[in-house]
Amino acid sequence: MEEDVKQSLIKQFNLPEETIRIPRPRRIFLEISREKFKEVFDFSVKELKFAILLTITGLDEQERFGVIYHLARETGAILNIKTSIPRDNPTLKTITPDFSNADIYERELMDLFGIKVEGLPPGNRYPLSDHWPNDQYPLRKDWKQEGVTFEQPREKQDVSEKSGGDQNA
Amino acid sequence: MRKPDIFKVPIGPQHPALKEPESFSVALAGEKIMGVDIRLGYNHRGIEKACEERTYIQDIYLIERICGICSHTHATCFVQAVEEIAGLEVPKRALYLRTLIGELERVHSHLLWLGVAGHEIGFDTLLMYTWRDREIVMDILAALTGNRVNYGMNTLGGVRRDITPEQAREVLKAIDKLEEQTKYYIELALGEATLAARLSGVGMLSREDCVKLGAVGPTARASGVDRDVRRDDPYAAYAEISFNVITDNHNDVFGRTVVRLKELMESYGIVRQLLKNLPDGPIAIKAPRKIPAGEAVSRYEAPRGEDVHYVKANGTEKPERVKVRAPTLANIQAVKKMLENRYLADMPIVIAAIDPCFSCTDRMINVRDAESKNNRLMEWETLRRQGIEHYRRLGIDFSKVKIRGHS
Amino acid sequence: MGLTKKIVTWARIKSPWIIHFNTGACNACDIEIIAALTPRYDLERFGVLLKGTPRHADILVCSGPVTRQIEDRLIRIYEQMAEPKFVIAVGSCACSGGVFSGCYNVKGGINSTIPVSAYIPGCPASPKAIIDGAVKLLASLKG
Repeated sequence: MEEDVKQSLIKQFNLPEETIRIPRPRRIFLEISREKFKEVFDFSVKELKFAILLTITGLDEQERFGVIYHLARETGAILNIKTSIPRDNPTLKTITPDFSNADIYERELMDLFGIKVEGLPPGNRYPLSDHWPNDQYPLRKDWKQEGVTFEQPREKQDVSEKSGGDQNA
Repeated sequence: MRKPDIFKVPIGPQHPALKEPESFSVALAGEKIMGVDIRLGYNHRGIEKACEERTYIQDIYLIERICGICSHTHATCFVQAVEEIAGLEVPKRALYLRTLIGELERVHSHLLWLGVAGHEIGFDTLLMYTWRDREIVMDILAALTGNRVNYGMNTLGGVRRDITPEQAREVLKAIDKLEEQTKYYIELALGEATLAARLSGVGMLSREDCVKLGAVGPTARASGVDRDVRRDDPYAAYAEISFNVITDNHNDVFGRTVVRLKELMESYGIVRQLLKNLPDGPIAIKAPRKIPAGEAVSRYEAPRGEDVHYVKANGTEKPERVKVRAPTLANIQAVKKMLENRYLADMPIVIAAIDPCFSCTDRMINVRDAESKNNRLMEWETLRRQGIEHYRRLGIDFSKVKIRGHS
Repeated sequence: MGLTKKIVTWARIKSPWIIHFNTGACNACDIEIIAALTPRYDLERFGVLLKGTPRHADILVCSGPVTRQIEDRLIRIYEQMAEPKFVIAVGSCACSGGVFSGCYNVKGGINSTIPVSAYIPGCPASPKAIIDGAVKLLASLKG
């Protein structure tokens, strides 16, 4: 079954064999260029019936960001389509027209990697809170905790003076 | 309808500098909910990043604590991915023991849920009784793993503890008792008019919406979506176990209750099979400290629904990337749909019915009222009490419902 | 503390009302706190009552590490409580950040933000440990 999926993709898009891996039953991994991504994605969802979006994973791969779309079929197989975008211009188009649940996974890419997802309807950020300064992307490999100044909620002197209990900064 | 003017009326001491992290923002017209805005990330800790900075073994203990209710779920989902990358052949006995703890976790979780649901609708007797029954499985888990919660059962390559024949007998005795009690709860759910009246028609979600919004687990199965990772993408010992996937067509909170109750019965059957057919042999094989470069996607049917982990290894003793998609994240997006045109009074039970893996009861709710044109910040507890009062006025009063005790 | 204050405290704390707040924990401790109130463990026989609002509470029972987003709310809840008031940190995370210590969104234990009167370790803290800790705190106020 996985082999059939592989052959369909190879045939349809003239892909080299090495771009598609089947490490074990029900798991297929595919790497595709950004230019070919949309058509491969649409084909996989509509023709090959990988119509369940599990999640979207971002990866910091130095000069580029990898983005993996994990798609499943009713019968249990998962097709993992990976594409990559340049670090100095990390933009993606939203897939929310096809998968409304992609919203939250795409916002995660924005908050944690600084990837710009175009076409998302207005909404709340996820998962970082408003305390986070705008240019901090924690899941980037070069991000360090020490460099961050959080917006302070309020003065804390009142609290410690009043109660005189154990206080540890 | 004219768009209401919005101004904030904070409750309590005036501290304008303090920002309240409102998780839910609800627009009301009278008593009906016109729209819900959900803000997530309130318990975001930074676990995925921390995983990259710790070894695989350390990560098992971290990941186990993503959620204390389904901790074995997360730990197992994670080790499965790593074991696949490393090409480890986990001994069968270990797979059976993993599955055993997983099903016992499902039992504790569903009983917990039943109690919490009871509490949200003002049926505290149900909370007391189900949580008392739940102690039976908590004792078993503590005896088998050394802890009531966060079992630490998994290691890379297998499990850390074995089971003795005496312990197996105790598990079977416990399952017998729980099965008897669960049968009664099913009778109660199907026969007690007050419960059915309170839960039916609440939190409706059509099959179509379920699929579109990506809902998983009992929430999806209660809307007729026939998906269960244990059957569709078997892991651990499930390929060798026979059980039924429970679906229901009520599409509402009542359906979600029935699905969980019947799943409990299935779990008891699975546990019996596991113990009857428990293979001999080692409980773990040795795993390398450094995991060769590779990647894997692992799935697990948590009590709440499908949990997905992606792991990428880079040849060192720390992972390159760990991604976790917990089931609640998949379900929370459906909640907005479920609350459309319902009463504010339904909010606690509708949210509780997806069995959220967060402590939603500590979050503030911002309620925008179209008539009075003001915002008020409500505490969950206030919302819960108001909901119970709303339904009591409609004749639904759980203080009159008696629960039969057990020996 | 002075004699008058001790008497006032003792009278109020004889039957303390507690409020439970989770700052972003994994829920394990929360479940065990609630379990401590169920019949098997029955914290209520010590006169302890779980209240929903800080304004009526004497003891704030906290679980979980303090995350960036919850800090404000934790401070506000603490400030809404009238004196004398006490804070119990339940579980390793509440005590010190626990397994999440060092995570980028975690500040630390409860005492990184508000004063703590009693620490109950454990991951999670068991209902027995919770009751033990609560009783010890009450006894120290009377003594």
